[in-house]
Amino acid sequence: MSSALIPQVLALFLFSTGMLMVLLRRNSVVLLLGIELMLNAANLSLVSFAHDLGRIDGQIQVFFVITIAAAESAVGLSILVNLYRNFGAVTTDRARTMQG
Amino acid sequence: MVDITYILGAIALVCAALAMVMLFSKDALTCAMALLGILIGTAAIYGLQGEHFVATVQLVVYAGAIMVLFVFSIMLLNIKRGDADFRITSGRFVAAALSAVVFLVAGTWVLVQKIDLEKGPWNHETVIGLGGNTRVLAHSLFTEHFVAFEAVSLALMVALVGAVTLAKRKID
Repeated sequence: MSSALIPQVLALFLFSTGMLMVLLRRNSVVLLLGIELMLNAANLSLVSFAHDLGRIDGQIQVFFVITIAAAESAVGLSILVNLYRNFGAVTTDRARTMQG
Repeated sequence: MVDITYILGAIALVCAALAMVMLFSKDALTCAMALLGILIGTAAIYGLQGEHFVATVQLVVYAGAIMVLFVFSIMLLNIKRGDADFRITSGRFVAAALSAVVFLVAGTWVLVQKIDLEKGPWNHETVIGLGGNTRVLAHSLFTEHFVAFEAVSLALMVALVGAVTLAKRKID
């Protein structure tokens, strides 16, 4: 494998692991960590492509993704605090009051 | 001097192992620490590629600020070590893992194709000649992408105000 291919394959692997975490885990903190993992994989892919193709737009994009990830985790964790207050747990199967 | 491919491969293997720890660990704090390791490994890859400013931002914002927020919440909510979320033999896990494997194989197959992509002007020597990675990025950020930069800063502020409003106790 060349040095250009390794980061891309790693990004694919990290993204699919994050996807599995979001699909399978029931603890909502771990679910948010999976979302962060997927965002990080996308960043890795963007920076590596920008590096290999001699462009910098990919790196500029990464700044925006990191900012949005910070905003997302702040809002997500405050929703989590509310979830804990209302249900006494952060597992997703406790929060099913909208199920009817 | 060791070839850069071997260093990249070693970092990639460590990151992949930590991702597996994240997927299968029952403890939320273990997951957070594994994610911290992956973020630092990613920053190391950026550094090896010569993109020093992105590597620094990754360390300061991602591995610093966001991870502190996560560890703080895990400890504040006192999340106990739970039972396993899923069984490896369950149909749900098999279906999800199968789709992930298909995604991985298809993506790798696309990557190894010989596609002629047009190369841009910013190779390593040009960037160094213009004063380094940070200066080139800052110039592009504050001229070409100025509007997007301001929009993202506004979005960040709105999100933080929203987070404070959501998390504070109701005052009667």
